[in-house]
Amino acid sequence: MKKIRKVKNNLEEKFRQQTDELRIRDGQLRQGADREKLGADRERQGADREKIAEEQIYIRTKAIESTLDGIFIIDAKKPDFPIIYANPSFYSLTGFSKSEIIGKSYFLLYGIDSNLRVSEEIKKTLRQGKFFHGEMLKFKKNGEKYWCLLRIAPIRDSKGVITHYVGTKTDTTLMKQRDLEIEEQREELLHVTRVGKLAEFVSSLAHEISQPLTAILSYAQAAQRMLKDREPQLREILQYIINDDQRAAEVIRRLRSLLKKNKPAFETLDINTLTNDTVTLIMPHIIAKNKVIKLELAGGLPLIHGDRIQLQQVLLNLISNSLEAMEESKHSTDLIIKTSLKNAGTIMVQVKDSGCGIPEENMKKLFAHFFTSKPDGLGMGLSISRSIVEAHGGHLEAMNNPDHGATFYFTIPVHVANKP
Amino acid sequence: MPVNIFIVDDDESVCRALKTLLMTYDFEVKTFNSAQSFFDNVAHNDPGCLLLDIHMSGLDGWEVQKRILASGSRRPVIFISAEKKDDATDRALKAGAVGFLQKPVNGQTLVDLISGIKV
Repeated sequence: MKKIRKVKNNLEEKFRQQTDELRIRDGQLRQGADREKLGADRERQGADREKIAEEQIYIRTKAIESTLDGIFIIDAKKPDFPIIYANPSFYSLTGFSKSEIIGKSYFLLYGIDSNLRVSEEIKKTLRQGKFFHGEMLKFKKNGEKYWCLLRIAPIRDSKGVITHYVGTKTDTTLMKQRDLEIEEQREELLHVTRVGKLAEFVSSLAHEISQPLTAILSYAQAAQRMLKDREPQLREILQYIINDDQRAAEVIRRLRSLLKKNKPAFETLDINTLTNDTVTLIMPHIIAKNKVIKLELAGGLPLIHGDRIQLQQVLLNLISNSLEAMEESKHSTDLIIKTSLKNAGTIMVQVKDSGCGIPEENMKKLFAHFFTSKPDGLGMGLSISRSIVEAHGGHLEAMNNPDHGATFYFTIPVHVANKP
Repeated sequence: MPVNIFIVDDDESVCRALKTLLMTYDFEVKTFNSAQSFFDNVAHNDPGCLLLDIHMSGLDGWEVQKRILASGSRRPVIFISAEKKDDATDRALKAGAVGFLQKPVNGQTLVDLISGIKV
């Protein structure tokens, strides 16, 4: 404690000295300026120029004081990074008062710095003369959390020597919260999709296995009946076959009920809102792949009746397929999602890509279970999508575009509020 | 109780096994690997009960049942499928079938169900 106090006192002393020095220098400058003024008394132009310069300085100072970003200046010549200036937004952002900030090391503002590793990284970057840029979770004086974008840049004198550092702190809490919400929604949708794929997979597997189990059971029971009272040992073996067959069937039944699909939750939906929401979820993915998504959403579309998550799942599946189809080519970047009114009772959603298209021989098998053209694909996506669309009373189809790429489109009946 | 049984299932082994089993109960059994070959070979007024698989390529079980009813035939139909029991039983009975049995089918249960059908 004593040590800290000593360091603090030293710091305060140094800061006082520095402030005094500045005051003296400022005085000298002013005197010089006065002299100059006297000398150029009759030169109105010069005076005007000076007035403009003064105005500029005034406006810049005001701008720094008025901006919503927290701005602070660190003395680079001192080893402990003392803050020599902070604007009002910096005080309100951090919750500290002027006396708690000025003269203190930037890295000791929060007491013993909560994140030593980050501090060290910032110091290292600054000492190398580079600028620092990072987003981090911080705490206000009252303990309240906030996300902040911190950027610190060196200020150099005319000889290129770093004299100060200027830092800006931008509160990104609101943006971050929105990002986190989107991330959560995306995770939820992906989870539902994964579970859906697994359920569909198990269901198909159950069907395939139950066929031979049916045959085995019937053969064994037939054989038992044929033997009637003869060959008791053989009849016993047949009974074991029957028991094990039924045991296997029970395992499959349990597995199926474990992955029982959730009943769809139908609600009234606006297809354009649903499309926008889904695109928001996959946007980072689209940007990362350097693709462009274009929305052509028809206005004034009637509402539909459906399960939001399931329909998002369909759209997400179609969009990811399109992105994969466009992966190979750098030239194909455009993905168009179009909503329209097909007829008075039907809405149509189209996902049109400019990718490699679908080979003619694959067209018929596209929607079949386990059909895939991807090396790591399960072949469940499109078959699940089709069954979802059909459960909504619509159809999901695919066709190749006349120029290049493919279009997947599905229909959904318009919601009728009161059925006649 | 019907004496003639028709089995429609796209799995050949399932057809043969069920036929072997039902023959030990002295039924007359004919099997078909598709709904189409059943319609092509059996007139809608030929007497007999139909054991019908649901999940088949081409015409599925539900579609076959619809056609049978539409033709005016009163052929009793028993669905046999790997589909989940609760949903499918309801749906089968609503569609006018005699019953629904989940695969693998226990022989005695099947025979009891057939025996209950009035001709």
